Amino acid sequence: MAHVKTWFGDIELHNDEIVRSQVLKADIDAMAQRLQREDFADFDKECRGRLREIAIKLQVVSSELEYVSVLRAVMIQSAKERIVTAFAQPDARIIQLIDGIDDIDESINLLSERLSEWCLLTSETSMPEDLLEAFVSSPSAQSPLAQEFAGSISRLCELRQEIANAIELEMRTTAPNLSTLAGELLGARLIARAGGLGSLARMPASRIQVMGASKALFKHIKYGTKPPKHGVIFQHPLVRGSHPNIRGKIARILAAKIAIAARLDFYSKRAYPELLSQLEKRVGELQTAERNPQQHEDITP
Amino acid sequence: MANCRPRSATPNNMKISRHKVAGVFLLDRQLATKGEALYGERTFDGYRLWNPRRSKLAALLMKQAQVPLAPEQIVLYLGAASGTTVSHLADIVSLVYAVEFAPRVARDLVRLSERVKNIVPLISDAAQPDYGPVVELVDLLYQDVAQPRQAEIAVKNAELFLKPRGHACIMIKARSIDVTAKPKTVYKREVKKLEELFDIESVHELEPFYKAHAAVIARLA
Ligand SMILES: C[S@@+](CC[C@H](N)C(=O)[O-])C[C@H]1O[C@@H](n2cnc3c(N)ncnc32)[C@H](O)[C@@H]1O
Repeated sequence: MAHVKTWFGDIELHNDEIVRSQVLKADIDAMAQRLQREDFADFDKECRGRLREIAIKLQVVSSELEYVSVLRAVMIQSAKERIVTAFAQPDARIIQLIDGIDDIDESINLLSERLSEWCLLTSETSMPEDLLEAFVSSPSAQSPLAQEFAGSISRLCELRQEIANAIELEMRTTAPNLSTLAGELLGARLIARAGGLGSLARMPASRIQVMGASKALFKHIKYGTKPPKHGVIFQHPLVRGSHPNIRGKIARILAAKIAIAARLDFYSKRAYPELLSQLEKRVGELQTAERNPQQHEDITP
Repeated sequence: MANCRPRSATPNNMKISRHKVAGVFLLDRQLATKGEALYGERTFDGYRLWNPRRSKLAALLMKQAQVPLAPEQIVLYLGAASGTTVSHLADIVSLVYAVEFAPRVARDLVRLSERVKNIVPLISDAAQPDYGPVVELVDLLYQDVAQPRQAEIAVKNAELFLKPRGHACIMIKARSIDVTAKPKTVYKREVKKLEELFDIESVHELEPFYKAHAAVIARLA
């Protein structure tokens, strides 16, 4: 006797004959819901090869064509539900917010470039930042259209700030340790890069260290600095604020701590403030060593 | 009244020929399948151009005529992404079960399934298949997940869903499996893992369309 649980109902087979069955008749919603709710065991290939035939025999559908069309409708319905659920997870919200920031940065970048080109005709300054200030503070000096333009950019900057605030809030509850260690925004970026907190928690530190030389970095855009070549964690103040000689080392230590923080956040969410103090201690030691190089210098023959 | 819109028709001098695989065509030297445009690809007279730099299957078809595809086939496709390749495959075979777990690309895949009658979308992790109650026995297992554990995933899915002596077409992106090893070494290692369950029929590198990618064509032993 074989018990077969399929998407259209439960069937019992004996010597290839259907002896009992309980099927749902083309009720798409009910079928999709049942797939989400119940547990299904695997069944053997013999039955798997007969699914269409069984569904037709039990009059769930009247033809192979209808088998495919009903199944497809059920799976589209169920796929939509799964996607909605996936997007409702806190880390999915964080990823969306980070994407929002990236989009805004890209727009600000484009608009600022346009504005600065526009203004090079009349003004000496070329930094979009200064221009924006000049516009907002002395509007009368500029044409009304350019003012409007500058106004839009500064509204985008405000929106960016609002999104950043929302990310901070989400991050503190979803990933407290990562937030403490990396900062909310950098932490969020790491989650987004990894494709979720769970994926980040499963990642080895070596991957985290080189993850994503992020595409639309605000700094790069706004201040014209070089885009970072070494992955997102180079944005961390402890890395950036250190002498180039030891940045690589610090990035490695930081990545290792971030890997631990992500695991703690994913599996328990308990806060471990020691992580940060350990990190700061190690980095402090390295920085001291870097400042007093004589302790390290080889005595060359 | 004169019609000024550019016509989407085959220019007179374009030569249409059949690829060895039924359902696949060559417009001059460009690969195509029959149907309406679905993701912004160019069309000519009912043919959708299929760019071998955007689809590994197209790259394989450009390099190798003997791909086990046929009109009556049912295919289980792991790693569908937004469905670029799936959409062409659906023009060639009878039904595609398309598995994808990343919600963002899955959204596009679902939209595609709503337009194309022979694509069934499955939002699931192919490493932990929960589509057991849904998927029939399939003729072909196609995999493009770009994952270190992809051989294991292929074996598991073939054990559950591939019909006896059914075919598998498995794409390998060397860099997703081991960044440090030479691509050829990676292919060899992956083939070795697949031999656990499959007879390997052929291995094709996808240069110049894809760097450090290969396709393995295999058959359930
Ligand atoms: C290289 S892309 C596929 C491109 C697609 N085959 C095409 O040609 O249009 C790999 C896809 O596999 C998906 N993927 C990776 N591992 C997976 C798994 N275990 N289950 C389901 N999908 C997976 C990824 O989310 C990604 O969208």
